[in-house]
Amino acid sequence: MPQPDDLVARAQAGDQTAFRELYRQHAGRVYALCLRLTGDDGDAEDRTQDVFVRLWDKLRSFRGDSAFSSWLHRLAVNVVLNERRTTSRRERRVMPAEDPAALEKHRGNPTEGLSIDLERAIAELPDGAREVFVLYDIEGYGHGEIAQLVGIAEGTSKAQLFRARRLLREKLER
Amino acid sequence: MNERELQDAVNRLPKSIDPPRDLWPGIEARLGTGAGGGFASWRRRWYWVPLAAAAVFAFLLIARAERSAWDVTALAGRPLIGTRRLAASGRLRVGDWLQTDDSSRALIAVGRIGQVEVRPDTRLQLVVAKANEHRLSLARGTIDAKVDAVPRLFFVETPAGTAIDLGCAYTLETDSLGKGLLRVTAGEVEFQTGSRSSRVPLGALMQIQPATGPGVPYVEEAPAPFVRALIAFDLERRGTRARAVRTVLALARPQDAISLWHVLQRVDPPLRGVVYDRLAALVPPPPGVTRRGALALESRALEGYWTKIQRIHFRIMVLRGVREIDPRTGLAKP
Repeated sequence: MPQPDDLVARAQAGDQTAFRELYRQHAGRVYALCLRLTGDDGDAEDRTQDVFVRLWDKLRSFRGDSAFSSWLHRLAVNVVLNERRTTSRRERRVMPAEDPAALEKHRGNPTEGLSIDLERAIAELPDGAREVFVLYDIEGYGHGEIAQLVGIAEGTSKAQLFRARRLLREKLER
Repeated sequence: MNERELQDAVNRLPKSIDPPRDLWPGIEARLGTGAGGGFASWRRRWYWVPLAAAAVFAFLLIARAERSAWDVTALAGRPLIGTRRLAASGRLRVGDWLQTDDSSRALIAVGRIGQVEVRPDTRLQLVVAKANEHRLSLARGTIDAKVDAVPRLFFVETPAGTAIDLGCAYTLETDSLGKGLLRVTAGEVEFQTGSRSSRVPLGALMQIQPATGPGVPYVEEAPAPFVRALIAFDLERRGTRARAVRTVLALARPQDAISLWHVLQRVDPPLRGVVYDRLAALVPPPPGVTRRGALALESRALEGYWTKIQRIHFRIMVLRGVREIDPRTGLAKP
């Protein structure tokens, strides 16, 4: 497998084969981030493609001051959040399922299927709460960074995180 | 599920998820049409330098101004700050009193976490304006507060106790002796007087008495006889309110569980069992909450029960007009 630095350098020089290899190495990480931030698999595919098109556009400005994966990650967050800010086509999320069966508490092994339930519960969070939760609890950003990225006050970020955790606990306890 | 279990579950989430289909063809097509290209962004980058500098400058100005004063806007008439008439807008500093007459109103920006509308004939003081504590003292009158922040950052003192924001919107009114009313329209508010406190969720209200502080909260549409019985319970002396309790229990519906949860903690011990049994018949306790624990007023039992009651209440309120919710279980009716 080609070394990351070599791939980046070749892609910076305009080598699309190298760029495709970068896509293959990082697509899963970027798609996971897009999926959790948008809560929708169709949107996640679109944003993943946007991220790599944007990456091609911006690649020349990568200086190697940080790891390429970290730099790409930040770029992906910006692409997703900018998309949400500049378009209004996202439909409002519907309320969580009202089917009584879906509200039943998970039975059996307490960790069995929990990741799937958690992913679904994250997707069902309101947009603002979901973005802060994904960035803070899953991706490890601080409230200051999130406030800058999302364009909200730091206190709002904390409030959204509190709200998201509460909603998630409630959803997972059903 | 507690905070720790949630965090453990989050930590187990996969960092990478393969897209359900190969996205490369779509990306490659866009690279070929000049959507990318690698170099176009260079020419645009210089715009960010003055923009970033302006943003930092604005942030520093805001942070500096916010330290010890809040913005106030006159909504009607000319409210007073201290002895000065407020024309259009001004600043309320720590220690300042804001007063409206019968024809004036004002809007206060509560730091960066919310706002308070001050209705006519109201007098209040800014007591603390810090990032981790925002505190007003409401001497008399009515305010409408809206706060978007973590719980326990915004407090309003009244002559009869303190309203503690738990992330919410509410209307609080009081006279100069402390008799008042708290009406919550979003989230939840705690009202505390000494060791006695009440929790008021959205769609509920609560009477406040000078002598006893927070009354028992009740839902907006609670029947009048039930509300009268609750107020009688609040006002009766300990030991002579058994009759009021029995009326409350007889009239209570599952939707009134938030009231019974409070009554349970305030009745004389001999009556506690009767209250618990009625509450459990209306809204069965969640797993882990025992009769013994509730009668002993163990916080684990009470908190567990409250979580269930609050969740059901929240679902009823949020889904009102959309789905009919069973007030005993919180599930949607078929």
